[in-house]
Amino acid sequence: MNRVVVTGLGPVSSIGIGVSAFTDGLREGRSGISPIRSFDASGFPHRNAGEVPGFRPEALLRRIDPARWGRSGQFAAAAARLALADSGLDPATVAVDRAGVVVGTTSGESVVVEAVTAQQVEAGFGGMDPDLLRQVPAGRLAHAVSTELELAGESLTLATACSASNYAIGYAYDTLATGEADVMFAGGADSVCRWAHAGFFRLGALTADACSPFDRDRSGILTGEGGAILMLETLEHARHRGARIYAEVLGYGLNCDANHPVAPDRASIAACMRAAHRNASIKPEDVDYICAHGTGTPANDSVEAQAIFDVFGDRVPPVSSIKSMIGHTMGAASGFGAIAGTLAIAHGFLPPTINWANPDPALVGLDPVPNTARQASVRVVQNNGFAFGGNNAIVLIGAVE
Amino acid sequence: MTGVVITGWSTVSPAGVGRAALAAAAATVPAVATVPAAATVPVGASAGGGWPVEPLPAAPVDVTALSDEPLPTTTGHALVDFDVRAHLGRKGTSFYDRATALAVVACGDALRDAAVQVDDGNRARLGVVLGTSLGSFRSTSDYTRETLVQDKPYLVNPVLFPNTVMNCAAGQAAIRHGLRGVNATVATGPLAFLDALRYGTNAIARGYVDAMLVGAVEEFSPHRAWTTSLTGQPVPTGEAAAVFLLARADQSGWVGPRREAEVLALATAYGPGGGPAADRALTGCVTRAVRRAGIDPAEITCVFTGETGPEDTDEFAPACAALGHVPARMRVSRLFGRCDAATGGLALATFLAAPPTDAAGRLALLTARSPDGGTAVAIVRGWPDAGPADR
Repeated sequence: MNRVVVTGLGPVSSIGIGVSAFTDGLREGRSGISPIRSFDASGFPHRNAGEVPGFRPEALLRRIDPARWGRSGQFAAAAARLALADSGLDPATVAVDRAGVVVGTTSGESVVVEAVTAQQVEAGFGGMDPDLLRQVPAGRLAHAVSTELELAGESLTLATACSASNYAIGYAYDTLATGEADVMFAGGADSVCRWAHAGFFRLGALTADACSPFDRDRSGILTGEGGAILMLETLEHARHRGARIYAEVLGYGLNCDANHPVAPDRASIAACMRAAHRNASIKPEDVDYICAHGTGTPANDSVEAQAIFDVFGDRVPPVSSIKSMIGHTMGAASGFGAIAGTLAIAHGFLPPTINWANPDPALVGLDPVPNTARQASVRVVQNNGFAFGGNNAIVLIGAVE
Repeated sequence: MTGVVITGWSTVSPAGVGRAALAAAAATVPAVATVPAAATVPVGASAGGGWPVEPLPAAPVDVTALSDEPLPTTTGHALVDFDVRAHLGRKGTSFYDRATALAVVACGDALRDAAVQVDDGNRARLGVVLGTSLGSFRSTSDYTRETLVQDKPYLVNPVLFPNTVMNCAAGQAAIRHGLRGVNATVATGPLAFLDALRYGTNAIARGYVDAMLVGAVEEFSPHRAWTTSLTGQPVPTGEAAAVFLLARADQSGWVGPRREAEVLALATAYGPGGGPAADRALTGCVTRAVRRAGIDPAEITCVFTGETGPEDTDEFAPACAALGHVPARMRVSRLFGRCDAATGGLALATFLAAPPTDAAGRLALLTARSPDGGTAVAIVRGWPDAGPADR
C-alpha cells in the first residue's frame, strides 16, 4: 500500500480565498458571517450566512466558462485550481489518466435548481431554461474540476451530505493507496441557498447572528458556502518531485447510525471514531487535536462531545469548531476541516472556536480553544464529519514521520 | 479480479417489483437481431451476432396519474401503480419521496433474494451505496418552490427537509433495514450505478465492510419528464431502482451457496468534448478493465450500453474498437426509458436475468458516458447458476 500525503491546499472561503488568506483567517479567529446577498432574505427572521461575496470565478478559473457551470461547480474548480497552484506540481509531469478528482456535496447545484424552480413558478414547467436544466446534475461538481485542470482520471461526486468531503478524501486516499492514481484532488463544495436556509430555520437549528459551538448558550448553525479542495498524492510521487509535504492522510472511518434521519447518535459516532483510529493504526492518545463537526446546535455539540468523552476517556485533546468562523458549509465543511487540520500540523497552531463566552456545565473537560488561536505542536488531527442520513465520516491526518 | 461476487438482486422497474418481473418482461418483448451500422464496426473486426438479441423498444404506458402538473407527454416508462405501503406498510414510510420508496423496497427485496438476515451480529459489516443524478429533483424543487409561494418564505415542512438532501434514499434504506456499515451516495447521473459498483467493491476490498448493497435509483416525476422533453432527449422518461448484494467471495457467511456473478474489473475516466478525447477515455477504460480482469476480450459476448438514440453508437463504437470485435449490443433504455443513474443497474439485472446459454459462464461489458465527459465501464462474469432457473 502506498502512503498518501497532502501537498496542496485550495480553500475558497468566507474568511479567505487561497491558503495564505485562509491561514491568516484561522489564526486571527476571523468571522466570515455577513448579511445574505445571494438571495432575497428579507422575509426570513434570520438573515445572516457565511457567503463568499469576494468570489470572482473569472479571476481564478482558466478553462471553464462560468456561464456554463453552476456556482458549486465553480467553487470546486476554483478551489482545485488553487490547490494545484499551491502544490507546485507541473501537471505536464503527470500522466493525465493517473490524476483524478472526488468532490463531496450536500445540495449540488442548488442555486441552479432554485433558478429553474423560479422559472416554473413564473411560467410553468415548460418555462424552464434547457441550458439551466443541463447544469442541474450534481455530477458536474467533479466534472468542473476535471475540465478546469484537464484531468483524465476518475471524476466522482459523492453526495453524502455534510460529511461528504471526508468521504471524498477517504475515497481519494484509497485510490492512491491502492495504486489506481498518482494524484487526486479531493474535498467538497456547496452554495448558500434559500431552501436550506428555510429548512434549517424550520428545524429550529438556525441561529441569528453568531454561531457559538460548545458554548452553554449555543443556539444553532449559520449556513455557509465555498469550495475546499486538497491535493493528495502518493508519498513516493511527492518525494520524487521534491514537493513540499504538509501532512499525511493516515486513514479514515465511515459508518451509519441507521436510526434517525437528522438526529446524531452518540454510540454510532463513538464507533466511527474507533473505526477511524483502527484504520489509521493510531490510538486515541496519539490525537493532538480534534477538528470538530461542531455545528453549534445544542444537540450536535452535546452528542459529539459525549462521544469524544466515551472514546478518549480522561485524555481529551483540544476540540474546536471552525464553523464558528465560516458557518456550516455543508458538503464542503469537512474539507475545510481537513485543510484547517493540515495547517495545524504544518504551522503548529490550533484554530479557535470563536463567539465562545460560557462553558457548558454538561461538557466539563472539553477545551474548545476559545476565541484565540493557540500555538501547539500538532502531530495527529482527527477531522470529524457527520450528516443527515446518519452518514458519519472521520479522517485522520498526521505529520509525516 | 476484485474477488467480489454478487449473490442476489432486485429491481423495481416499469416491469414490476423483483427479479422475476424483470426477467419476464425481458423475455416477452419481441426481439430483433440488431446489426450494427457499418461505421461502428472497427477495421479488422468481424461483425458478430452473439448473445443476447436486443429487444424492440417497449411501449410506454400512461403516466398521467403520477403528476398533478401537466406533463409534456402522457406516456412514459413508470411503475404507475407502485405503492410503498403495499411492500413496507404505513409506519415510517409516509414521508418517503418516490425515489426513496423505490430504493428502500429494492434494497429489502435484494436482501431477501441474497438470503441475508440482518441482525446485531452483522449489521455493522453491511453497508449500502446508491447512485443518483441529484437525489429527488421533485423533492428539492418542491421545497424551494414553497419558499417562493408561501406567505412567508420559511413556511416549509421541516419533516420533508431531509428529502431535499441527496443521501436521503441511502439513509432511509439503512434505517429501514438496519444497515450500520459504510453508507454512501454517488451522484454522477448516467455513470452513477457503475460508480456505485466501484465504490462498493472498494469498500469491500479495503475491508471496511464485508458486504454492500449496491444500487441506483431514479423516480418518475414531472420535473424529470419536463427535463427529458425540454433538453430534447430521444427516449421517454423512465424510473427504476436496481440493487445488488455484493460480498467477498471468501466470506462464506455472507456468500452462502449462491454466486450469480463476479465483478471482474471496473474502470473510470474523463474525456470532455464528445469527440476523439471522449472516445479515447472510453477505449482506455475498456482496455484497462480487460487487463485487470485477466480475460480474452473475444470472450465478451455482449456490451450493455447506456445509449438512448436509435443511431447512437457513442459507447458501442469505442467499446468495439477496444475489444477488437463486435459483440451483441443491449440498450436497456429501449425497455425501461431514460433512467439516468439506474440505467447501469438495469443493464446488470437484464444480463443476470437472461437464461444462460452454456455451462461455462459468460462475460458482459457494461458502459456508461455522461454528457460532460465522464466514462465508466465494468466487466462482469455471469455464472451458470445465475438466471431464473436458479430460483
